[in-house]
Amino acid sequence: MFGTHYRIERKSVILAVAIMIVASIGGLIEIAPLFTIDDTVETDPDMRVYTPLELAGRNIYIREGCYACHSQMIRTLQDEVERYGPYSLAVESKYDHPMLWGSKRTGPDLARIGGKYSDQWHTAHLTNPRDVVPQSIMPRYGWLGRAQLHTAHLGDDLRAMRAVGVPYTDAMIANAAADAVAQASPDDDTAGLVERYGEETQVRTFDGDRRTVSEMDALVAYLQILGKLSKAAEQPAKAVAAAATAPAAAEGGQARP
Amino acid sequence: MTTGHEWNGIKELNTPVPRAVWFFLIVTVIFSIGYWVLMPAWPLGDSYTRGLLGSDQKEIVARRVEAAAEERAAWAQRIAAMDYAEVRADPALMAHVREDGHRLFGDNCAACHGMDATGNSGFPNLVDGDWLWGGSPDAIARTITVGVNSPVSKDTRVSQMMAFGKDGILTGEEVMATADYVKSLSDPGWAKGKAASVARGKGVFAANCVACHGPQGKGSQELGAPDLTDRNWIYGGDIDAIHATIENGRQGEMPAWEHRLSPADRKILVLYLLDRGEALKAGAAKGAPR
Amino acid sequence: MSERQRGLIVLAVLAFIGLAMAVAGAGRGDPLQAHGYIVLLFSIGIGCVLLKGYFAPEPPATRLDSYYDDPSKVGIVLAMGWAVFGMFVGDWVAWLLAFPDLTFDAAWSSFGRLRPAHTTGVIFGFGGNALIATSFHVMQRTARARMPDQFSPWFVLIGYNLFCLLAVSGYFLGITQSKEYAEPEWYADIWLVIVWVTYLLLYLRTLARRKEPHIYVANWYYLAFILVVAILHVVNNLAVPASFAGAKSYSAFAGVQDAMTQWWYGHNAVAFFLTAGFLGMLYYYLPKRAERPIYSYRMSIIGFWGITFFYMWAGSHHLHYTALPQWVQTLGMTFSVMLIVPSWIAAANALLTLNGAWHKVRDDATLRFMMMAAIFYGLSTFEGSFMAIRSVNSLSHYTDWTIGHVHAGAMGWVALITFGSIYALVPWLWKRERMYSPALVEVHFWLALAGTLVYVFAMWNSGIIQGLMWRTYSDSGTLTYSFLDSMVAMHPYYVARAVGGLLFLIGAVVGCYNIWMTIRRPSGAEATADTPLPATMQPAE
Ligand code: HEC
Ligand code: HEC
Ligand code: HEC
Ligand code: HEM
Ligand code: HEM
Ligand SMILES: [Ca+2]
Ligand SMILES: [Ca+2]
Ligand SMILES: [Cu+2]
Repeated sequence: MFGTHYRIERKSVILAVAIMIVASIGGLIEIAPLFTIDDTVETDPDMRVYTPLELAGRNIYIREGCYACHSQMIRTLQDEVERYGPYSLAVESKYDHPMLWGSKRTGPDLARIGGKYSDQWHTAHLTNPRDVVPQSIMPRYGWLGRAQLHTAHLGDDLRAMRAVGVPYTDAMIANAAADAVAQASPDDDTAGLVERYGEETQVRTFDGDRRTVSEMDALVAYLQILGKLSKAAEQPAKAVAAAATAPAAAEGGQARP
Repeated sequence: MTTGHEWNGIKELNTPVPRAVWFFLIVTVIFSIGYWVLMPAWPLGDSYTRGLLGSDQKEIVARRVEAAAEERAAWAQRIAAMDYAEVRADPALMAHVREDGHRLFGDNCAACHGMDATGNSGFPNLVDGDWLWGGSPDAIARTITVGVNSPVSKDTRVSQMMAFGKDGILTGEEVMATADYVKSLSDPGWAKGKAASVARGKGVFAANCVACHGPQGKGSQELGAPDLTDRNWIYGGDIDAIHATIENGRQGEMPAWEHRLSPADRKILVLYLLDRGEALKAGAAKGAPR
Repeated sequence: MSERQRGLIVLAVLAFIGLAMAVAGAGRGDPLQAHGYIVLLFSIGIGCVLLKGYFAPEPPATRLDSYYDDPSKVGIVLAMGWAVFGMFVGDWVAWLLAFPDLTFDAAWSSFGRLRPAHTTGVIFGFGGNALIATSFHVMQRTARARMPDQFSPWFVLIGYNLFCLLAVSGYFLGITQSKEYAEPEWYADIWLVIVWVTYLLLYLRTLARRKEPHIYVANWYYLAFILVVAILHVVNNLAVPASFAGAKSYSAFAGVQDAMTQWWYGHNAVAFFLTAGFLGMLYYYLPKRAERPIYSYRMSIIGFWGITFFYMWAGSHHLHYTALPQWVQTLGMTFSVMLIVPSWIAAANALLTLNGAWHKVRDDATLRFMMMAAIFYGLSTFEGSFMAIRSVNSLSHYTDWTIGHVHAGAMGWVALITFGSIYALVPWLWKRERMYSPALVEVHFWLALAGTLVYVFAMWNSGIIQGLMWRTYSDSGTLTYSFLDSMVAMHPYYVARAVGGLLFLIGAVVGCYNIWMTIRRPSGAEATADTPLPATMQPAE
């Protein structure tokens, strides 16, 4: 063994090739099967895609580095399920390029934040968290409400997402900019948007200001959809969805967030 | 004993590998092999080895959560079955309510109503005994279940304070006068030197506001319209806040929890709030259980 | 074509690309515009430096008889500059978690943008420059050969710093892929590939010229660092840009596959950037400074191949209990446990090398830096293997415990070995007898050690308290604490951490001063026989 090495270490190219081979094995065996083993990602035919406004919000979430403090991955542990809701499934992030599971919880998990608070609250909280939660150590994001959302090129974003496997249609791509504006303008004609993205599309004045579509609109629209793209995690049979303080009470509510 | 090489003065001894190294390597490898045999471990094309224990983290947590709920059932079911007054009379159950309520409130409600439930600008105080929608346990439970102005609940309570100024129902002057009048309801000193404006506001109020806030401004718990004569304000009692309310209107949204919290959890929250309110009134808030 | 001409052409091409980026970005109102200007100004700036010496006479041919150390010198200065920048931002970020309004009300200065500026500044700016500078030095010495040309080392060093600059400025501008430790966007990623391939070729070409038959173990590690980082970088950064005129891209993988790829990358960025490369450093500067032979050649071999093989399996320990299939978690956990053995072999081999030189450790702060680094390396790898166990990770994951572990490794191991190596290297490179002030080296050592200990203990405390508060159940069988309760409880530890970080930062500033004064001081020492010309020639491959 040491004798062989004694020879290998005299040849730089052989040494380099040996390093590459030895180092490649682990990744190949762990990553490649994730594409071939069927039950890696659950199937959910009803899964919907991010609307252009939500995608724009997601990009703001990325840009501001929210993932540095917030996870979006509820682990299969009792305390997490009881605090945040049903554990996260792989399918829930199957359109997430990239995923935002996070690695640090300076703030709470956000995987199921959609619908938990009001748009008003999110806007106030993002503008200055200490206005609503005096103890909070989260940064202020006041500029989001002042910045107009750039919608002109959202079609490019949808097209790139389609290139990596998200099923956006031509109509979605063509109408991306208009759909983004429509989602934050409930007084306008939103029929096209709803037709393309489904009945449950949330059309609201997220930041409370009807006149403009701000970055705040986009980010709040994104936060309000978290955990709602797929209902797979709530299916009671799947596990814990029906857990509550008392088992008898289970029919009424899904989980104990 | 060196290997005989030298690199810019660095030599290497040819010391044999200590026994301990082999020992620990073997121990960790054996541990790993054992673990692979017992647990899901190696991929096989389109499936993987499941392991002798058949361990599945999803099933495990489902069982854990279920078992924990069963363990709690001893007291939780009693709370679910009893009516509010009975529970409140039972110190043992109330101890559970305080323990569970603190966490439930902290993780779900504190963001708006504050960690101590005393509210925040735009979000009402829940322990001052002054209720927008009524202070009976059932009224509170209903608010928590269906929310107020919730976009998702079909039965939500609806609260609309119109934008009298912005929508052109009142002139700017009238808004100002009404604000002065409203302010004077809880702060009689305010009327000093502003008698004309307050009198004018009184007229506007009678014409526009009594439908919801009542002739005396005492509010209506049917409509969730607040009492304007006390000093408990949702949005603040300074003249600017009052003016802003009349000018721009308010539609405070309280989320509906019917899909996020179980009925038992909601009941515990109601009990927790009533208990906290009482404790506060008794001046014992400081010593309240954490 | 002379090397100066080659340099100018490359810079002209780069300047043109910068201009194109600026124009394209401006058309879309995209932040790519700002990066275009940065590339343009950077190329022009370097071009000016080059032109200043352009018409100077070519240096005499005798230079080929000596090692080429100028890139190493510049690399060390850059490393120290990045250290102060990165740690300043780190400490700022630490204070922000205790007092969140200690910042400007501006987008660029919010926590989420500053934090990656800290991690990139210290890992890639400080660590990367130190690795490049020392690897140039070590590979020439242990190969007893001058680098094959002068252009490539400058291209690698300057090109790499352009990458770091694009990365860090990108976060401030809001350009990020959000993949931890791989945040820079697609064009910066592509640029790094070009730089990195040049680096690899430079390394192999220098090794090919070597006059020693065997390749020294430090070079194995540097080589593994370069090769594996290349593989990781390419795979994890696969992405489709929304437009070639914009900065934004969408990663090729999604969800669970993306998570696994990211942490395969992330964990091995730790392994091959923050460990393998620095082990190369350790394996050269420690025996050199201690003037002792390496304790065991055989342990070097097992340690090296064990690390190279086992590490690559361990990434899934970042995803325990998540939606990643459990079988991958099992592999990540078991390989992490086995990984402790080669890690400790590497640490023990270094510490045992000090046998017979412990009196030097006592008297010489430079050597003590290296010794302490090896200890922290052993400690953080032990901790890492422990945290990789699923049940332990269920407590530690998402908490400050991870942050404590990171900084035991990053401050205690990475930064200490770098400072030690730099203190050894600076007098050699600048041909000084010793550092300007050994007393200040001593001061730096104690500040760094104290800072690390305060930081790490604070985070162990906060992390474990946090983890426990999240899972504490009351007698009722319900969770006891809300998230906000745990957040409030962290405050004192966050203050302590920020103070510890401040000590560490002050130490680094003291180090900069000391290095600066050493460089400024006139050369006192006799030029030592530090040349590639060997007394006796040995055949290479
Ligand atoms: C410095 C860390 C930090 C950053 C960065 C951060 N947050 Fe937070 N976040 C927190 C903390 C701590 C809390 C809990 C206190 C509170 O509610 O403000 C929180 C709470 C929240 C909540 C409420 C969660 C709940 O269940 O109560 C939301 C939503 C949120 N953050 C969104 C965001 C978004 C969106 C961003 C980025 C634009 C962001 N955060 C950036 C630390 C952070
Ligand atoms: C997104 C913010 C938000 C959250 C979270 C929230 N509330 Fe509210 N809540 C409000 C607002 C706003 C009102 C006032 C609604 C109105 O204008 O009538 C309110 C009103 C109430 C009322 C009625 C008060 C009264 O005087 O009649 C109760 C009771 C209440 N909340 C309890 C809770 C409980 C319990 C929770 C947690 C499960 C909770 N709230 C979470 C915003 C919130
Ligand atoms: C349609 C019913 C309705 C009418 C008419 C109405 N209000 Fe209100 N008012 C409400 C409701 C409901 C709220 C609580 C809104 C909330 O909590 O978001 C409210 C809140 C207020 C508040 C804020 C109280 C606080 O605690 O901060 C003021 C002040 C007020 N109204 C004044 C008036 C005046 C003056 C008028 C007439 C010009 C008027 N309201 C007409 C329903 C009404
Ligand atoms: C002055 C010294 C330092 C201070 C004050 C400091 C402070 C911090 C802070 C506050 C964080 C964020 C933690 C959180 O989000 O909760 C952080 C993260 C990090 N730091 Fe440092 N740091 C210092 C030195 C270093 C050094 C020298 C390195 C590497 C060589 C380093 C590498 C990292 C890494 C990798 C992370 C990310 C950890 C994670 O995501 O899990 N730090 N640092
Ligand atoms: C045997 C060696 C090691 C093992 C098995 C190991 C294991 C681990 C584990 C289990 C985590 C926590 C993952 C999580 O819960 O999210 C972690 C995080 C981390 N470790 Fe190590 N570690 C080792 C050595 C090191 C060393 C030497 C460093 C040097 C700096 C280091 C740097 C980091 C960093 C930066 C992170 C944070 C990653 C992130 O979440 O951003 N580790 N490591
Ligand atoms: Ca991290
Ligand atoms: Ca990248
Ligand atoms: Cu790791």
